[in-house]
Amino acid sequence: MTDVENSDVMIELEDLTKMYPGQPVPAVDHVNMRIPRGEIVVLVGPSGCGKTTTMKMVNRLIEPTSGRIVLDGEDVTKVNANQLRRRIGYVIQQIGLFPHQTIKQNIATVPKVLGWDKDRIDHRVDELLRTVGMDPEEFRDRYPKELSGGQRQRVGVARAMSVDPDVMLMDEPFGAIDPITRERLQNEFLRVQAEIRKTIIFVTHDIDEAIKMGDRIAILQEQSHIAQFAPPEEILTAPANDFVADFIGSGASLKRLNLTRIRDIQLHADAPVVDVNDDITTARQRLRDSDWTALLVVDAERRPQRWLRPTDLKRPSADLHQGGLPVDATVEPQATLADALNEMIISNAGCVVVTDGRGAYQGVADIDTIMASIRAMRAQVDEYYRAAKLLDIEGEVAV
Amino acid sequence: MGFLEYLAQNYDALLVQSFEHIQLVVVSVVAAIIVGVPLGIVAHRSELLRSAILNTTSTFLTVPSLAFFALLIPLVGIGNTAPILALFCYALLPIVRNTVSGLRQVDPAIVESAKGMGIGSFGRLRGIELPLAWPVILTGVRVSTLLNIGIAAIAVLVGGGGLGQEIFRGIRSLGSPFAPNLVFGGTLFIIGIALVFDLFYLLLGRLTTTRGIR
Amino acid sequence: MAVDLVDDVALKDEAATQVSPRHRTQGLSPARKVWRYVAMPLFLTIVLVGFYLYISGQELDTIEARQLTRPIIQGRLTEHIYVSAISTFFVVLLAVPLGIFATRPSLQRFTPGIIGLGNFGQAIPSLGMLTIINLFALTVTWLPSTGTVPAVLALVAYSTLPILRNTMVGLRQVDPNLLEAGRGMGLSNFQVLRKIEMPLAVPVVLAGVRTALVINIGTAALVFLYGAGGLGTLIFQGFQLRREPILLTGAVLTATLALLVDYLAGLVEEWLTPRGI
Repeated sequence: MTDVENSDVMIELEDLTKMYPGQPVPAVDHVNMRIPRGEIVVLVGPSGCGKTTTMKMVNRLIEPTSGRIVLDGEDVTKVNANQLRRRIGYVIQQIGLFPHQTIKQNIATVPKVLGWDKDRIDHRVDELLRTVGMDPEEFRDRYPKELSGGQRQRVGVARAMSVDPDVMLMDEPFGAIDPITRERLQNEFLRVQAEIRKTIIFVTHDIDEAIKMGDRIAILQEQSHIAQFAPPEEILTAPANDFVADFIGSGASLKRLNLTRIRDIQLHADAPVVDVNDDITTARQRLRDSDWTALLVVDAERRPQRWLRPTDLKRPSADLHQGGLPVDATVEPQATLADALNEMIISNAGCVVVTDGRGAYQGVADIDTIMASIRAMRAQVDEYYRAAKLLDIEGEVAV
Repeated sequence: MGFLEYLAQNYDALLVQSFEHIQLVVVSVVAAIIVGVPLGIVAHRSELLRSAILNTTSTFLTVPSLAFFALLIPLVGIGNTAPILALFCYALLPIVRNTVSGLRQVDPAIVESAKGMGIGSFGRLRGIELPLAWPVILTGVRVSTLLNIGIAAIAVLVGGGGLGQEIFRGIRSLGSPFAPNLVFGGTLFIIGIALVFDLFYLLLGRLTTTRGIR
Repeated sequence: MAVDLVDDVALKDEAATQVSPRHRTQGLSPARKVWRYVAMPLFLTIVLVGFYLYISGQELDTIEARQLTRPIIQGRLTEHIYVSAISTFFVVLLAVPLGIFATRPSLQRFTPGIIGLGNFGQAIPSLGMLTIINLFALTVTWLPSTGTVPAVLALVAYSTLPILRNTMVGLRQVDPNLLEAGRGMGLSNFQVLRKIEMPLAVPVVLAGVRTALVINIGTAALVFLYGAGGLGTLIFQGFQLRREPILLTGAVLTATLALLVDYLAGLVEEWLTPRGI
C-alpha cells in the first residue's frame, strides 16, 4: 500500500472512536488514517458503516468518544469547536443555504463572523462565484429559492470556501442533484481542485463517484473499519479482500475504463485520410498504400465525414461526398475509455474517431487500442506491487 | 339622535377610550412577546418543558375573562392592572405556541450547515432560526393582539378603561333610544382598532420578511 | 398573499400542537400518563377545597352572608350551566355542519376567506356582540327581551364564528391523499365524505364541542347584564359592593367550572377518537 510521508500529512485520525450510549458496539471503531495534503480522500462504504460519523468527527459536529484528530500538526481534539469549524469548509447533501439571505450574504457568513471588512468580503464573494462558474453580477443579490439545484450546490461549495480553508469536508454533496448536472458539477469541481489543491474528505456511498473523484479511497466496513485505503487504480485492480471486491461490484473491469482518458493512450494515427475535395484517384491510391480496409474522408475543417471501402471507391460513379459509412462515433481527447467503448458499441463502424474541441480529426481508437491500454494498466500495478513488496521485505528500494 | 350625530358629538370621548383600550392591549402583548418568545425557545429546545409550558399557557386561555380579571383583584386591586395582567396571560399561548411551531419548521439541514460553518448556538438562533421562524411568530403576535382587543372590552366590569365603557353605558341604558348608538359606537371602534392593527401586522410582515422566504 | 400563507402554516401547526388526544399520551412513561389525567382534577379539588375553607373561615358581614347562601350560589351555578349547555348544543348544530359544508370541493375558493374572517373575528368583543343581540331582541316583539332566550341567542351568535372556523381548519387537515385515494377507488363525493372524512372528522367535531363549551361558559359570565343570571352576577355584585368574598366566589366557581368542563370534554374527546388517528 502506498505509504504517506509525515510532512505530507494534513489530517491524521488517531484511534478515532465514537461510542453511542446504549449501543453494544461503537459506531466508529478506532479509525487510523493519514490524509495527505492537497488530496481528495473519499470515504465510501455501505449505509451505516459510519463514514459520515467519521467525517463529522473531524470538525467535531460529532464529538469523538476517544482518539485524536491532528490537523496540520495541531491536535484539535479539544480546541474550541466553533473556531475549529470556521477553519474547515463543510458541504452537505441538502446544501443548507439560508433561504432568508441573498447568495452574497450566505457566502459572506463566516468572513463576517471573523470580522473581515466590507470591501474584502465583497471582493471575495465575487471571486468565489466566478470560481464556481457563476456570474457575480447576476447571482450575488438573488435568493436561494430563485436558483436551480445545481446552482445552489455551487453556492454551497463557494460558501464552504469563503475563508479559503485548507481542509474541506463534503458529505454526499452531489447526492441530491440529477445525474446530468451531477456529472457536470463533479467535472467542474475536479477542475477547480486541480488549481487550488485543497485537502478534502469526501463521503459517498457511490463507488463510481469515489473512483472518479478520489485521489485516494478508503473503503469502509461496519464501524468504519478500513478494508482498503489506496488510490482508485489499486483498489480496482487489486482489491484487498472479498468485501472490497464485492463493493466494487462486477463492473470492476468496466470501471477501470473510467480511469484512463483517450488522450493518454496510443491511438492509431496512421489511418488513411483524404479531403472531401480531393480526387478519387488520390483516394484510391492512399487507401492502397495503407494497410487499412477503409478510408476516412474529412471536410475542409478536417472533420470526419465517412468511411469508404474499396468497393465504394471502385465504382465509376464513386464520389467522396457520399456513400460508404457515415461517421457517427466520435469522442474528444478528455473522454474516458468507457465513453469510447460506449460509442464503439453503438456505432456502425466498430471503431471511434477521436476529434479535438472543434471536431477536427486526431486519430482512431478501436477495441484493440482499449485492450492494449488495459494490459498496460495491469502491468503497471504489478510493478507497483513488486516494488512495494520489495520495500517491505528489505526496507530499501531495490534497484 | 342619529348615529353619525352621536359620533360627531362624542368623538373625543371615544378617542380617549380608544387610547385606553389600545394601551391595555399593547402593554399586555408587548409583555407577552418579551416573556413568550424566550419561553417558546425553551419549549422548543426542551422536550421535557414543552408540554408543561404549552399546557400552562393553554390553561390560561381556558379561564373565562371576567373570572380571570376578578381573581386578580384581591392581588392588584380594581382598575386597569388586573385586566392587563390577565390579558398578558391570554396573549402568551398564541405567541409561545407559534414560536415553537416556527422554530420547528426550520429545515434542520440549514441549522446543521450553520453549525458546520462554526456559528455558535446563540448566533444560529439570532441569525438563522429566529429570522426563519419570524413569519409564524408574527402570526402568533397578531392572534394575541386580536384576541386581547376583543377581551379588553370587559375591563370596564372591573373598573378598567377602554371602549368597553361606552358599551357598558349602552347596557345600562338598555331600552332607551340612546343605547344602540352607544353600543354600536363602542363595538365599531373596537373593530376599527382591530382592523388598524391587522393592517399594521400585514405591513410589518411584508417589511420584515426578506424576499427569500416570502 | 404572504399573510395567508403564514396563516396556513400557523393554522396547520395550530392543529399540530392541539395534537390528537391519544398522541398526547402515547410514548409517555406510566407516571407521566397518570399525572396527565390526575393533574387538573387534583388542582381543581385543591382550589375548591381551599377556597371553601377560606370562605367558611371568614367573618362574613350581613351583605355577604345574604348573597353567599347555598340556594343562591346553586341557583346561579345552575343558570350558568343551563345557558352554556343550551347555547353549545345549538351552536354545534349550526356551526359544525356549516363548517363541513363550507369545506366541500365546490366551495373551496371561499374557505380561506371564511377562515380569515374567523381569525379576525377573535377581535369582536363579546360584550359588544351580546349587547347588540339583546338590542335586537328588544326591538323584535316576538322575542323575550331579557332572560334565557336572548342570552342563548347571543351566546350562539358569538360562538358561531370561532366554531365554524375551527371546524373548517380541522377538516382541511384531513390528508388530501386519502380523499384522492377514495375518489380513485370510485367513491362518490358523498361516499368519500361519509366513509373517510367523517370518521376522521370526529376528533374535529369533538374539539369543536369542547371549544364551544369553554367559550360559552366564559361568555355566559356576562349574561347577568341582560337579566339572565349566571355566576357573573356574583362577580359583578362583589365588585360593585366591594365585597371580596362574593367576588371571589363567583370568580372561582366560574373558572373552576370552565376548567372542569374542559378537562372532562378532553377525556371524552380522547375516548371517542377512533384508534389510529
